[in-house]
Amino acid sequence: MSLKRVSVLLGKEFLHGPKNYIFIFAIVAPIIISLVVSLVFGTLFTEKPKLGIVDEGNSQLVAMSQELDSVITKEYSTVSDMRGAVEGGAVDMGIVLPQAFDDAVSRGEKVEIEAYIWGESLAKNRTILPVTIANLVRELGGQEVPVEIESVTLGDEVSAPWSDRLLPFIVLAAVFLGGLMLPATSIIDEKQKNTLEALVVTPTTIGDVFISKGLVGIILSLVMGTAILILNQAFGAQPLLLVGVLALGAIMAVEFGLLSGALIKDITTLFALWKFAGILLFAPGFVYMFPQIPEWVGQIFPTYYIVQPIVDISQRGGGWPEIAVNVFVLIGLNLVLAGIVVFVARKTMQH
Amino acid sequence: MNFRIIRALVAKDLSLFFRNRFYALVTALGIVTYITIYLVMPGSVDEKLEIGLYAPVVPPVLEQLPEEGVEIQAVESEEALIEAVIEGQYAAGMALPADIMDKFASGQKPQITLYFHADAPEEVKDAVEFLIRELAYLQTGQPLAIETSVEILGRDMLGEQIPPRDRMRPLLALALIMFETMGLASLISEEVEQGTAEALLVTPTRVGDLFAAKGLMGVGLAFAQAVFFMAIVGGVSSQPLIILTTLLLGAVLVTGAGFLIASLSKDMMSVMAWGAVVIIIFVIPAFGIMFPGTISGWVKVIPSYYLADTIHQAANFGAGWGDVWSNLLILLGFNLVIVWGGIMALRRKFE
Repeated sequence: MSLKRVSVLLGKEFLHGPKNYIFIFAIVAPIIISLVVSLVFGTLFTEKPKLGIVDEGNSQLVAMSQELDSVITKEYSTVSDMRGAVEGGAVDMGIVLPQAFDDAVSRGEKVEIEAYIWGESLAKNRTILPVTIANLVRELGGQEVPVEIESVTLGDEVSAPWSDRLLPFIVLAAVFLGGLMLPATSIIDEKQKNTLEALVVTPTTIGDVFISKGLVGIILSLVMGTAILILNQAFGAQPLLLVGVLALGAIMAVEFGLLSGALIKDITTLFALWKFAGILLFAPGFVYMFPQIPEWVGQIFPTYYIVQPIVDISQRGGGWPEIAVNVFVLIGLNLVLAGIVVFVARKTMQH
Repeated sequence: MNFRIIRALVAKDLSLFFRNRFYALVTALGIVTYITIYLVMPGSVDEKLEIGLYAPVVPPVLEQLPEEGVEIQAVESEEALIEAVIEGQYAAGMALPADIMDKFASGQKPQITLYFHADAPEEVKDAVEFLIRELAYLQTGQPLAIETSVEILGRDMLGEQIPPRDRMRPLLALALIMFETMGLASLISEEVEQGTAEALLVTPTRVGDLFAAKGLMGVGLAFAQAVFFMAIVGGVSSQPLIILTTLLLGAVLVTGAGFLIASLSKDMMSVMAWGAVVIIIFVIPAFGIMFPGTISGWVKVIPSYYLADTIHQAANFGAGWGDVWSNLLILLGFNLVIVWGGIMALRRKFE
């Protein structure tokens, strides 16, 4: 291996890389995914019941409901708008508050309200929402609560919001899109255009080519992984440790990319591989999304050992003692993969 | 159109497909992975709020609870209640004092202790607290001065909610066949790139034969994969003929899209670029099914809406021809336009 040749090749990769679709995709896609997740999916996956209100007067109940953390309240200007929202499932239940509703409630008069329930709304939401409305109405009418309630929290675990549950998936996307796809497509492209053959008849070795392409992948992967964690305010209290884990993750991604590039003949086959193996790589992300899936399922997949330390550091405030075992497994996997890459590179050279 | 030539071309493409054992294998593994994702997703809906109750004296109001959304189960001791909450058996535990009825009768406020697991979401904590308050109001003879007229919009799915994995079924089926868009576009692009298409056209093979062969290949592969997937995940157990017709139309749709992508692409990279754009747009309607109410009416301009919606309606609600004929007709219309547009664009490219 020649450092000079590797640096020349690296310079070439950086010069031409940004014109490559995969290079741009590896930068743009994780950012878009992250933005979509934080803007949309953060509320999409919520299990909070959704209440729609049409206020024909000027009721305080709307503001009171909007202040609640337990219910998502949306106000509609017309009954037909709200009916549409209920029919489409945008809200579980819609109510129409008549004019002078607050006055009637405070005078203790009987008030009639119309309610619309979405047919697919869960039974528990159909109970929670009327009870919530009843409590708000009683509060509005100044009724005194006839009980004292003491809430006691048991156990240590804290429920993770959906934005946190999706973070491992986004980080994996950031690390693997650049780390795996860039070296893989680059090598396949060189093979298809026969430029790889042309390169190795010069003093450049396959090893030099693989290292330069791998370095580009690692740098891009690391930068994107870090950027995504910063974007999601998940850099935690141990940034160096986090960057270290991301670097190990980037190395794994690149090793998979180099292997794919060396073994696969064309981009079509790479697509086919990505179609199935991509899901396997992202599988630990699904395990975090759905806590019903046992954790051991995630441990089967190599990428688990990237995301678990990241989650431990960024979301659970963990340090080296908490992540050490998983990091050692990750290093072990990287060494095994490195051995396979070296073996495959030698085979490629012989061909 | 020469059927012998078409048959020979399809046979050639199929033999190329299966000769590449790796490509064939990962395609099969891709289907297996999608099936696995379906199987590990939650297969049931937790509709009820389960609350554990320790009550030396049970207030009569608890019997008035709406049965549909809340299930209260009595436990023998407060310790057993705490244990059950920690184990996640109940969303909440409610411990009532022995003198609750005496205190209500004397106008005093009894103290009720609510136990929650630390993992319990805020909405559950608030909902249970609201529920207890409302029950206390009712027990103390303070009914709510509100009369509600309720209308259920859409089919009432109470007790027969669609599990998340069945909501995800159209997305998985769509994703599976959408990837064939890229496969087909790559195949055509490869033929153009390597000059084999041109070579074929100097033989008695006509452009129409080439399109028919590629189209048959694309439709066949997409349709076979989708049918296999749907059959395994139980997607054809309800309205099989409608599902098969829809999948066939879907396969034609992705084939047309594949033609269009191939006509716009110069190489594999541009196939990826255009393919990613088309796939992202086409899977949006399936997300609307997974997360009802998140996507407004504009989604109906996307052709795949009629594919995903028909699968959803037929597989999850047992919708018949009378319910989905308009969807199928629109999908057919889109197919005609897209396939015609794709053929025209490709023909121009060949010429």
